[in-house]
Amino acid sequence: MTGFRRYVGRRLVLLAFVVWCVLTIMFGLFQLLPGDPTAIFVDSNFSVEMIERQRQLWGLSDPVWVQYLRYVRNMLLLDFGSSFFQIAPVSHIMAEKVKNTCLMIVPALIVSVVLGTAIGAVAGWRRGGRFEQATVGTALFLHSAPSFFVGIMALMVFSYRLGWLPPGGMVSLGGPDGLWDMVSSRDYWVHLLLPGLILVSREITGPILLLRSSMLEVKGSDFLDILRAKGLRERRIVMHATRNALLPLVTYIAVMTGLLFQGQVLLEIIFAWPGIGRELVQALNDLDYPVAQAALFVMALVTLTLNFAADLLYGVIDPRVTYE
Amino acid sequence: MPGRRLPVAMRRSLEGLRVILKYPSGTVGLIVMVLFVLLALLAPVIAPYGPFEVAYGVERSVIRLAPPTARNWLGTTNQGMDVLSQLLWGSRVALVVGLLSALGSVLLGTLVGLCSGYFGGWVDEVLMRLTDVAFGIPFLPFAMVVVSIAKPGLALVIVLVIFFLWRTTARVIRSQVLSLKTRPFVWAARAAGAGHGKILFRHIAPNVLPISFLYIAIGVQTGVMLEAALSFLGFGDPQVLSWGIMLNAAFQAGAMRTAWWWVLPPGLALSALVISVFMITRAYEEMLNPRLRAI
Repeated sequence: MTGFRRYVGRRLVLLAFVVWCVLTIMFGLFQLLPGDPTAIFVDSNFSVEMIERQRQLWGLSDPVWVQYLRYVRNMLLLDFGSSFFQIAPVSHIMAEKVKNTCLMIVPALIVSVVLGTAIGAVAGWRRGGRFEQATVGTALFLHSAPSFFVGIMALMVFSYRLGWLPPGGMVSLGGPDGLWDMVSSRDYWVHLLLPGLILVSREITGPILLLRSSMLEVKGSDFLDILRAKGLRERRIVMHATRNALLPLVTYIAVMTGLLFQGQVLLEIIFAWPGIGRELVQALNDLDYPVAQAALFVMALVTLTLNFAADLLYGVIDPRVTYE
Repeated sequence: MPGRRLPVAMRRSLEGLRVILKYPSGTVGLIVMVLFVLLALLAPVIAPYGPFEVAYGVERSVIRLAPPTARNWLGTTNQGMDVLSQLLWGSRVALVVGLLSALGSVLLGTLVGLCSGYFGGWVDEVLMRLTDVAFGIPFLPFAMVVVSIAKPGLALVIVLVIFFLWRTTARVIRSQVLSLKTRPFVWAARAAGAGHGKILFRHIAPNVLPISFLYIAIGVQTGVMLEAALSFLGFGDPQVLSWGIMLNAAFQAGAMRTAWWWVLPPGLALSALVISVFMITRAYEEMLNPRLRAI
């Protein structure tokens, strides 16, 4: 167990180091902005003294290293200051947007993992069959197609031409409010259908391919012969094999969630989903830098934390993994 | 002695080509790819108009949002520009971005992977922590922030894509080198008095070349996609016409409702190019990894 503890310690130090690097890169980037925030925020009617007072208030006249330390502290405490345009602390805006993004990602991820596991397991069991070739081919094909164009096409066909589905947004105007009301309403699910399906078509590839290859490995194990000798039916044996083939998937899920943000930004723009990716694009277009940097930091933090969790989880779940 | 090293690389590329042609999907992918290269090269000759040229009708009125006609085979945009011409000019940008970002990232990634795996110790530690940092940054959001702070430009987009792509190549090459450097032929070379540089580039590097080729192909695919995505979101180079820029303009103008001829061509071209590269890599990968092969 000490080996495991040392491993966790090392991973934690690494996590802290990477977070620090990301923060430093971000600080450097936002220092490069032409002028300072007062140039965007302050109106031309302000007198020189007023601008100076505002600069003092924001700490912009302090030496750079003081600003840097303050910046790192504030970001780590998730204190992102206030937005230039929206009258709310940025941390509240972020919480709201992260929730909305989760409302798209979580259902899509559950469907991808459950469905992908089943399909991948069957494909791996019947190696070389037509089912295997068809699923693997289709999965890879879907994964390599540019998802944002697939999204545009789906929108053109199902929303504009056929009028079956709403053309974007998370709920209709004046629709249900509050988390539970929304999730239990038909309106939300109708809005989720198109972006959700496109997300699934991309994310399902991982579980399918992973389950297929780990099933191939498990398939040759001795314990399956014992089960066969006990006289279990083939279907039960497949289920036993699948349970053992599931291990690598656990770490993959965390990595997958981290990488999701990549395509998420595009889907949120196309389907006008009020999530964190869309918020970032809007903030950058409005030059609302406090919001922009908070969004970037939150996305990086989520990616890193999930990767970290995945590393730890693997050791906990599979007792065969040792940490010398 | 670069003169003697070149034939190895060339022989390996030709071998790779033969393998790709053995699979029907690889052949199809290659044909589509060659077609795109031809279109891009010939764009100035075959494109009926310039990328930003406005079409005027009778009495100098701009022909806006015209459906496909004999004059404009794929119709016009809301500013009266010819969609077919834009499509052809855009293919040049896609290929240039794809090729440069793939070559750049694989070169960087292979070098990092070679040094990291071969030297080990603190070199490995430093380089791998660098890749960890690169893996911690979500690309698209990061690229959007950089572009909106700096001046948007095609060169910047390519640099950003390279920054995003090198990390995977570096890790894969490193793990290959870790296993290669313990093989007898490396011991033999060392016993024969070969220096680090010679062992690394003469003996180990040729053995990781097939994987580098694979990552060049994957890099082209990812590079094209990322440029299109970035431009679609409005963070591309406005001076250069790419498929992503076309899609962005069409999306902003609401052409999804009104002008299918403006939305479909860039999207379909993008998909065709990306999928053709995918088919090529699939065939090539099956040679590299026999376990993927169906019995």
